[in-house]
Amino acid sequence: MTPLLILSPLILLAALGAVWLARPVHAALLLALALALTAVFYLTIGADFIGLVQFMVYVGAIAVLIVFSLLITRPGDEAEELARRPRSLVTGLACTLPVLAVLLYSVSRSGTAESGAADSPAFTLEQLGTALFTTHVPAVMAVGVLLTAVMIGAALFARGAHASSVSRYASCVTEATIKPPTLSDP
Amino acid sequence: MILLAVSSGAPSLWAPEWLPRLPQRLVEMICQALGAPDWLVAIAGFIAAAATVVGVFLGGFALLSLIERKTLARIQNRIGPNRAGWFGILQPVADGIKMLTKEDIVPAKAEWLLHLAAPILIVVPSILALGVIPYGREWVPVRLELGLLFFFAVGTLTELAVFIAGWASGSKFPMLGAMRAISQMVSYELPLMISALGVIMVTGSLSLPAIVEHQGGFHLGFIPAWNLFSPWGLSAGIIFYIASIAEANRCPFDLPEGESEIVAGHMTEYSGFKYALFFMGEYLGLFAISGLGITLFLGGWQAPLPGLGFVPSWIWFFAKLVVVIMSYLWIRGTFPRVRIDQLMRFAWLCLLPMALLTLPAAGLWTILNRNDHNVLAWLITVPLLLIPWLILTAIYNRRLAPQTRTYTFADS
Amino acid sequence: MDQSSNIHRLPDPARAARWSLPGLGLFKGLVVTAQNMIQSYYRKERMTTVQYPEQRAPISPNFRNFPFLAYDGVDPVAGLRCTACSICEKECPPQCIYIVLDRDANGKSLKRPRIFDIDVSVCMNCGICSEVCPFDSIYMDGEYELSTDDRFDGLLFGLDRLAKSADYHMKLRPEQATEVAARRKAEEDKKLATQAAKEAKAKAEQAKKQQELPGQHEKGADV
Repeated sequence: MTPLLILSPLILLAALGAVWLARPVHAALLLALALALTAVFYLTIGADFIGLVQFMVYVGAIAVLIVFSLLITRPGDEAEELARRPRSLVTGLACTLPVLAVLLYSVSRSGTAESGAADSPAFTLEQLGTALFTTHVPAVMAVGVLLTAVMIGAALFARGAHASSVSRYASCVTEATIKPPTLSDP
Repeated sequence: MILLAVSSGAPSLWAPEWLPRLPQRLVEMICQALGAPDWLVAIAGFIAAAATVVGVFLGGFALLSLIERKTLARIQNRIGPNRAGWFGILQPVADGIKMLTKEDIVPAKAEWLLHLAAPILIVVPSILALGVIPYGREWVPVRLELGLLFFFAVGTLTELAVFIAGWASGSKFPMLGAMRAISQMVSYELPLMISALGVIMVTGSLSLPAIVEHQGGFHLGFIPAWNLFSPWGLSAGIIFYIASIAEANRCPFDLPEGESEIVAGHMTEYSGFKYALFFMGEYLGLFAISGLGITLFLGGWQAPLPGLGFVPSWIWFFAKLVVVIMSYLWIRGTFPRVRIDQLMRFAWLCLLPMALLTLPAAGLWTILNRNDHNVLAWLITVPLLLIPWLILTAIYNRRLAPQTRTYTFADS
Repeated sequence: MDQSSNIHRLPDPARAARWSLPGLGLFKGLVVTAQNMIQSYYRKERMTTVQYPEQRAPISPNFRNFPFLAYDGVDPVAGLRCTACSICEKECPPQCIYIVLDRDANGKSLKRPRIFDIDVSVCMNCGICSEVCPFDSIYMDGEYELSTDDRFDGLLFGLDRLAKSADYHMKLRPEQATEVAARRKAEEDKKLATQAAKEAKAKAEQAKKQQELPGQHEKGADV
């Protein structure tokens, strides 16, 4: 219980900071911190595999992706974002409060486990793997198809943008070579 | 006290095989003699073990910085540092003093908290990763069942730390360098992990000591049963090697920190001890990832020939580590830096397909060998790996060859 | 336009597009560097470092730095070839030479300099002073270890620092020094020869006069 008591305020603070802070990069880093602390929480309750995978996937891949997209795209004008803050706060609350209510309701309905957190895990890694690929195969296949579609779409998008910019450059170059600039005699 | 330990049946304190554990056991013995409670003795032992690992590898880092400079110098027809002490042996000390006494400049536009946190966040994962590698038969600092996963998880923290370093410096070169560094590290992590996946599949366990023990024994009496000496293992090993050079930002993949390209990339705005921490993080990361490569593909602490079992196992590990690190230095002195687009193209179009091919190759190899179809195993896996590689290189040769240029004004 | 000039140096695309053993180029590169590293231990041409304070790289005879004044013999004052004619002072482009002629008590020139200063922070090592000197006295030195911590007086070279013996010149630039020495010796020999001839002629005339006087020649007898 003590790890949860120590970690959950920190996670909440980090998450609050992630949605509250004005600078997007700070918010992204606090989001990464919240995800890392969640991974630590998983490790403390004995879910080693999930905790490490959470770290590797969320902090190592997704947070890096968010941060990368922030680096590449230019952030908008911060003053105008701050001015829009009250309205966006209302919209955000309107979207998240129902979700929070549903979560709290479902948590209160399930029996809270009073037993200690450090019991041996319910199943081993091998059982997890076997379950994924025997009973839950349709879900895994669906995720695989989705990821493949996403990758192909991304490659096509990138190729399309690259090709158009390359063709524009090529046409400029050919124009310049077909009609070389002429010097007029003084 | 020593007599007590010996008579209690524990392995001898001074036996060569148990030498790496010596500090930990000495500390534990001293604490027990002083009458400390059990948990305190255990904690003191852990701290001693961690201090041993960190101390050995920091000493190795200092030595490596000197050996790297001297080796690169000899490759480049010059003598390396030889003024600070006999053959330059005190050069790392001089470097350390210089780094410590330099003024720590934080740019005005930088965020000082993140600027301070970044070097720490880069060194910590490397040290954590060093803790799960089995250095000897009796010496794994932390015996984790999910050791390999832990290694990769803390490895991904390095990428975020590089971004923080680049962004928190608040200037163009670090930002650009951080972008390139992150894209490089992310692209090369895939082949790294997929080539390790083959090993996991064959061994059936994520625990690094188990992977090393799986590679014991000898084929044909004298060829060690290391993963490198099988077709899929050779392919996966080479991919792992190349990807590890890219992960550690070493030449020829050191675009993020090449001086002629981008000053020092994400480390531009750092001086003094923070720069020393970056340097240390890079070298410790190099040790960690080559240690992992040795564990996965070169048999860890296993001896190379049957009769050499009397040599302590950790000596074999460190000998292999020396060979691998020397090969990194050799490669650094030989190859020019690759451009960012060549780098990414190589990762996604060459390494990733080859890495994906090692998975079925490893699976087929194991199944066929388990059913004693050894020749068939060779016959299937070798073409499965060789033919796509030859096709890929043919495509590369054709696509990347320089094209004939036509000069509009020079020909007329 | 010369077609063969730069297009020949491009790599042949047909050859590059042909398939070759993958990794062979990398392997060859690794062999080259390994050879370099191993042979640097025992072959001189693969270790070209000169460890500076203990060893010095030899300087070429064409190297020139700041000037020096040559003197013959062992006495830098008596043997100094410079006569303070001030031609080098006038010809020096940045005007870094300062000469004061040494005169005796009556104001007569002693044909040597009392002060000869060269400001090496101004000197541009052109060598014009050496080219115009008629007395073979000023030459360009090859010394480069001239660091000092006084940028005014430390860089003003006086007569004591500039005067170096002709043997030093011979060691520094043997070709030039032998040529100068040969020329000076020839001039010296010629001077001695003319002086000897003059003396012989004067002696002969004197002997003739002495012979004529006691003999009481008739003056118009031989006309």
